[in-house]
Amino acid sequence: MIADKFSSINFGRILIYSILIFFAFIYLAPLYVMFSTSLKDIEEIRSGNLLALPNDPTLYAWAKAWSSACTGSECKGLAPFFWNSVKIVFPAVIISTIIGAFNGYVLSKWKFKGSELFFGALLFGCFIPFQVILLPMAILLSKLGLSNTVSGLVLVHVIYGVAFTTLFFRNYYIGISTELVRAARLDGAGFFDIFRHIFLPISTPIFVVTIIWQFTQIWNDFLFGVVYSGAGTQPITVALNNLVNTSVGGKEYNVDMAAAIIAALPTLIVYVFAGKYFVRGLTAGAVKG
Amino acid sequence: MGHIQLNNVCKSFGTTEVLKNINLDIQDGELLILIGPSGCGKSTLMNLIAGLEEITSGNIVISGSDVSDKSPKDRDIAMVFQSYALYPTMNVARNISFGLEMRKVPKDEQENTVNRVAEMLQIDHLLDRKPGQLSGGQRQRVAMGRALARSPKAFLFDEPLSNLDAKLRVEMRTEIKKLHHRLGTTIVYVTHDQVEAMTLATRIAVLKDGVIQQLGTPYEIYNDPANHFVADFMGSPGMNFVECVVFEDKLIIESGSQNYQLAIPCSDAVKRSNLESVILGIRPEMLTDPKPHENNPYVHEVEFNVEVIEPMGADTIAIGKWNGVEVQGRLSPESGETAAKGFRLQVDTSKAIAFDPRTGQRVR
Repeated sequence: MIADKFSSINFGRILIYSILIFFAFIYLAPLYVMFSTSLKDIEEIRSGNLLALPNDPTLYAWAKAWSSACTGSECKGLAPFFWNSVKIVFPAVIISTIIGAFNGYVLSKWKFKGSELFFGALLFGCFIPFQVILLPMAILLSKLGLSNTVSGLVLVHVIYGVAFTTLFFRNYYIGISTELVRAARLDGAGFFDIFRHIFLPISTPIFVVTIIWQFTQIWNDFLFGVVYSGAGTQPITVALNNLVNTSVGGKEYNVDMAAAIIAALPTLIVYVFAGKYFVRGLTAGAVKG
Repeated sequence: MGHIQLNNVCKSFGTTEVLKNINLDIQDGELLILIGPSGCGKSTLMNLIAGLEEITSGNIVISGSDVSDKSPKDRDIAMVFQSYALYPTMNVARNISFGLEMRKVPKDEQENTVNRVAEMLQIDHLLDRKPGQLSGGQRQRVAMGRALARSPKAFLFDEPLSNLDAKLRVEMRTEIKKLHHRLGTTIVYVTHDQVEAMTLATRIAVLKDGVIQQLGTPYEIYNDPANHFVADFMGSPGMNFVECVVFEDKLIIESGSQNYQLAIPCSDAVKRSNLESVILGIRPEMLTDPKPHENNPYVHEVEFNVEVIEPMGADTIAIGKWNGVEVQGRLSPESGETAAKGFRLQVDTSKAIAFDPRTGQRVR
């Protein structure tokens, strides 16, 4: 009996693992191909097998992608655009997260007449497709004198991100007992005291979720980047596109692959290091006190 | 000190009137219990006193000054919440001192207060713990400690014991009573547990549908209820209510397939009311085993068909029927053992009361 049970569990396990490994392989195969291709020289790519490991690994393609590949008429690699992206992403993530935290706090714990309507309207922002706001946003940016600037892109991402960050924080704070706010008010704490001393310390999981979400969204954005940036302010996603589409002589697949990995690297790293907090934060319920 | 007056206080949410013309004069040092079924407005009333909700009309005066428009922190009132509402990321010491910190009390004074309060509540060994590491009873003590720290004019307790298990609840109840004796601070206490109300209160206000049904001492509320609702709400097991035909100055009941005439103290009032029938209200402890008595005209012996026996330990509840309605008697555990059909039940109507069947008001 025991042996039977044991072997049936084993059989099930084997089946599950083989299916999981099979799919993991399928999903990871492109990453493998990209990575191994980026380490080959162009001769080997032309003659060799797509799936083969590089014979003589070289970082030539990575160096070129980073500092000397041509993105249109200029040939300075991805580096300047990488820093453009950093300059856009950091302020945009920080500002939109802070605004979202305050919005969520107010909309869950300091409800006012019409606050539900306000929240509903804000929520609507989550479902508006990017394309719809392109033209009005361009007009707004030019009126503000922010066309083709990094600040302009930051503003666009903050506005678009606030709908999501507010939703995250509001839904997190709604699960926290309102009696906490009442107790603190009787203790003499004001609006900001309560936020700082009571809500901020319990908000780590939702801050992690929001920051990862916003970071990924803004770093990976292409449409806003291509529409609202000027020649010197393009984010890395736009530069990657230009790099791949600019061919001087033959197509350098190894450089394209290295460039693509460089562009995707920050979000990959964030996910690898903070991914478990992301999952935990999304499923975290109210903090019981 | 803590003298709280509510004058014609009304509260509506939208078009629903939750509290209607509440007048209460809570004396300094009193422990007033607000009791009523859920949805009667007792918690709302407490929030109005605390300033957590705005009154629709009327005013609230605390120690001579009108606080109707003041924010909670300026009312000098502390509150203990049903969920305790302890700050989850702060340790016990900081939970207690947070109110002092917000009021910019010097650090060393904060520390002294925390130590004094913690000692009083026997939580001094828990000061470094977080609320999540405490048991229910300990959280309850911390919540009280937080309220005590500020030495306010009055305490508000919002069903503070309802999350504790039965044994702990009794313990904490006694603790609160001792604390009240010791501090002598005004307490307004919301509960739906009538045992809590009876044991703690100096006065009880019974609420229903946003109206105070009766305000009185526990003795008055129990023995002299203003109406059917109050009589029914207070007491466990509850008062027996039997609709009886009035015959001259007596009430007729049918018990154990025989008719009996019961004399009642309010017979004059019943006669005057010209009602054909009234609802007789009689507490289970007045239906007992036969005991010796001295020709008391209000003591009757009736035959009682006991249908169900519920031993409670100290006594036994016997359930049978009068006029086809279930009534409960309190027997000694010994006779409870053998009580059955045809049991001789002694009925003492000296505290029996009568209600108008149409309005539920007392006939008196």
